[in-house]
Parts: sequence; C-alpha cells; structure tokens
Amino acid sequence: MASAKNIELPGQRTSLKRNEMKTFAELGFPGRLIAVEGLDGSGKSTQIYLLKRWLEAEGVKVYFSEWNSSEIVKSATSKGKKRELLSPTTFSLIHATDFADRYERHLLPLLRAGYVVLCDRYVFTAYARDVVRGCPPTWVRGIYSFAALPDITFFFKADLEVSLNRILDGRPKLKFFEAGMDLRLSTDPYESFRIFQGRILDQYLAMSSEFDFVTIDANHRVETQQATVRQLVTHRVDFDQFRRNSPLPLPPPVRRNPSTKSKPAFEEPEEDSAA
Amino acid sequence: MKKAKTKLVVPCRSDRSFYGDGIPGVKPEELAGKRIVVEGADGSGRSTQIASLVEWLEISGHATVQVGLKRSTLVSEELERAQDGNILSRTTLSLFYATDFADQLENVILPALKAGFIVLADRYIYTLMARDMVRGMDIAWLKNLYGVALKPDAVFYLAIEPNDLVQRALAKTATLDYWESGMDLGLSRDLFDSFIEYQTLMRMAFRKLQKSYGFTIVDGNRPVDEVNEELRKNIEAVLLGK
Repeated sequence: MASAKNIELPGQRTSLKRNEMKTFAELGFPGRLIAVEGLDGSGKSTQIYLLKRWLEAEGVKVYFSEWNSSEIVKSATSKGKKRELLSPTTFSLIHATDFADRYERHLLPLLRAGYVVLCDRYVFTAYARDVVRGCPPTWVRGIYSFAALPDITFFFKADLEVSLNRILDGRPKLKFFEAGMDLRLSTDPYESFRIFQGRILDQYLAMSSEFDFVTIDANHRVETQQATVRQLVTHRVDFDQFRRNSPLPLPPPVRRNPSTKSKPAFEEPEEDSAA
Repeated sequence: MKKAKTKLVVPCRSDRSFYGDGIPGVKPEELAGKRIVVEGADGSGRSTQIASLVEWLEISGHATVQVGLKRSTLVSEELERAQDGNILSRTTLSLFYATDFADQLENVILPALKAGFIVLADRYIYTLMARDMVRGMDIAWLKNLYGVALKPDAVFYLAIEPNDLVQRALAKTATLDYWESGMDLGLSRDLFDSFIEYQTLMRMAFRKLQKSYGFTIVDGNRPVDEVNEELRKNIEAVLLGK
C-alpha cells in the first residue's frame, strides 16, 4: 500500500481542463473510485448495487456512497425542496455542500485506506443538472474542482423514452425539482420532466468523451449490462490490492427508511438524489 | 420655531454589478438600492455601528434592511447544528456558508435592492473568504465561488488590534468563542493564545483581500461616536454618488 508521502492530495482548484484534472490513481491514492452516471430510470443504481454485491463477495473492501445523502446537509436540502425554497444557485450550492461532506469525511479517508469506493452519481451529475438550471458551467466546475476524477465512470445510456417510461410508469407523482418545474419549462409536470431529462441527457453526452465515460447500453438486459461492468472492473482493478483483511466489513450506510434496507435495488431508490 | 427639514436625499443609482457571473437571470441595472457592508471581528463594534447607522438612515428617510451571516431560512439551523458538533470539514463548512449567503442574497438582498432599500450587511463574503483562507482554502476557488455575490457600494472594515479585541471580547462575555478563537485549527491548546494567533491570521487575510476588493479600513479602536461619524460621512458620499 502506498504511504501517505506518495499521495498528492487534490487541491481545491486543480484545473478545469480535463487533461489537467487527475484521477485518484493518478494522484497516487491506494484506493479506487468507480462512479455511475445516467438519467433517472437508466438502471444505474441497480447496476452499481450488483457490482457492490459482487465485489463484497470477492472479499474486496468496498464502500458505497449515494448522491445527496449526507446526514447533516440533508435536512436543509429536503426542507428546501419541500418548501420550494431553492433557486438554481442555492440548489447547486447545497448539493455541493452535501458532496463535500461525503467527500471529505468518507471518500478521502477510505480512498487513503485502499477501499474501492462506489458512487451513485458524482460531480458529473452537478455539471449536467446545474448547467441545465442556468448556472454558468465554469462556476459549477470551479466549485467541484476540489474533487479528483473517478478512476472509472460508467455512463448508463438508455433511450430517453425508456428512462422516462421507467420513472413515469412506476411513480406517477413527480416531485417539483425532480420534474424540473423550477425551470418553468411546462406547467405539466410530465412534460416538464421530459424536457428537463432530455436536456440533462444532452449535457451528459457532451461531456462523455471529455471525461472518458464508459458507456453502457442501458437498453440491454440487466445481466448483460452487469457482465460488461464486471468485465471492465476486473480488467482495470487488481482485486488483490483491495482485499479485506479484517473479518468485519464496514457497516452499510444508515438509510432513512429502514423498510428499503433489505429490498434489492431493482428500481431507483425512492427519493433519487435526483430531484 | 425651526421648520423641520423635509428635503431628502435620493440615492444615486448604483452602477455596480456582480463579482462574477452573478445569479442567473438577475439584471444589476434593476437594483436601485445601495449596499453597505460592515466587516470586522466579533467585538469590533459592528452591531453597535450598524444599529446607529439604521437609526440615522431611517430618520433621513431611507428604507433599510439588515442581513448577516447564518440568517437564511434555508440552512441557518442546520449550519448552527453542524457547527455545534464541529463535524464538518473545511470545504463542506465553506460551501454551507456560501449556501446561506446565496439564499439571503436571493431572498432578502436582491428584492430589497429592487425596491430601492439600503441594505446593511453585518459581515459579507469577505469574512467568509478570510476564514476559509486561514484554513488553507485556495483564494481562486473562493473567488469563483463568490462570483455570485453583488459588489457593495461601500465596505468598511473595523480594524482592531487582536490585543484590544481580546479585551473587548472578555469584557462582553467573560469568555472567548470557540470559532472566533480558531480552536478548530489547533493553533494552540490555550484559548487565549489561540484567539490572539487566529485573529492575527484573520487580519492578515483581510489585508490580502483588501488589495483585491478595495474596502475602507476604519480604525475601530476609538469612541463609538467617532467611528460612526466617519462611517456616516462615507455613506453620505456614497448616497450622493461621490
């Protein structure tokens, strides 16, 4: 395992240019970070859950972190969302706060300790969403510049209609921010959601090559996608370097709703980060 | 009997804008009001000076609104709780404060300015930036973050030597505040030493910021009235657009 001396801790403002931004491996961290990105309903949460189960079974030290899940920040975020208090600027900043909290308190120490950290959404979610909401791209990227890049980013690319239907079929009541209603794209939440998701997809596609996204065809069957994911992870990550020595795995992150704890992630978590 | 003066000064329009890209959709030319900021450490007399300025401005016929740090509807409670437990890392705390600032900017400052109010800010982005700089945050990162902030029409920094500040703080509460002493930085285990050291670092950070942001440094170690007199003179000039 690399000693602390060889690790270059990411600065707050490394650079905004991709070729000057570094991944955790490039910074000399012993751990690796794998992120999944994609639209709501693209199946990314299911895939990262299955990846986690497999890595755990392989005896790898794994930690899973979900967008918008920092305990202390969440109460402000949900208040803001419920009471529709958020503007594009505060929406962006509060999610950045949430991310920073998880990054500094969990991700960095775990990556220093040689964990494989799995992130359901990473900075790219903010890059895409905040820009669609009208925040200047350089401002958003500047704020998140304290974070190093993932070692692997899987982008789950489903046809827009497929993602929309997965969400709209199962969960007819759309939340205000989730539907992008704050953008006043349409008075109809469903129509608003469609336009909003379409714009986010455009943003993802625009940054896909810049950040070396590994694109997974999310129209395929769950198993087919998972096979591709596992194959790539095996290829890029040498499991022997990440073996768990202690018999006890890290306890799972505390979830708000205990009833969802045992439920396999066949669908997006109830309150996707998303909104 | 002397006739009461009814002729009032109508403040000139501000031509000042945002430091960076600002808030999406806000046009600075729509903001008729004036923005006055008073900066300074706890115990520098900020609140006393602001209260006195409000009194004077309102009697002079100007509508005022006051803002400060940690007063937003959105995150002030959570921020308070997080700080009590001292559980947030520096980037997180920095962004939390930025969120608090942006919320007040959008929901209090901007509407008030549109309505032609004079906004008095009891501390502004400079305190937040100085605190973060002392904690090792990158100044370019902070400048980008606070590109959302409006440029004030006047910024006064009430400068007080740390040795005088410690006397004032102790005279007021008989103890030193954990955060105002920078205890999270581990400068010293001794509260008194840490306070002096931290406040010295803060002063240095303010001087650095003064170079980029050009605020007026006011000697705060004088009688309240004398300081207020100086502030009023400066503010009068600002209202007249001088």
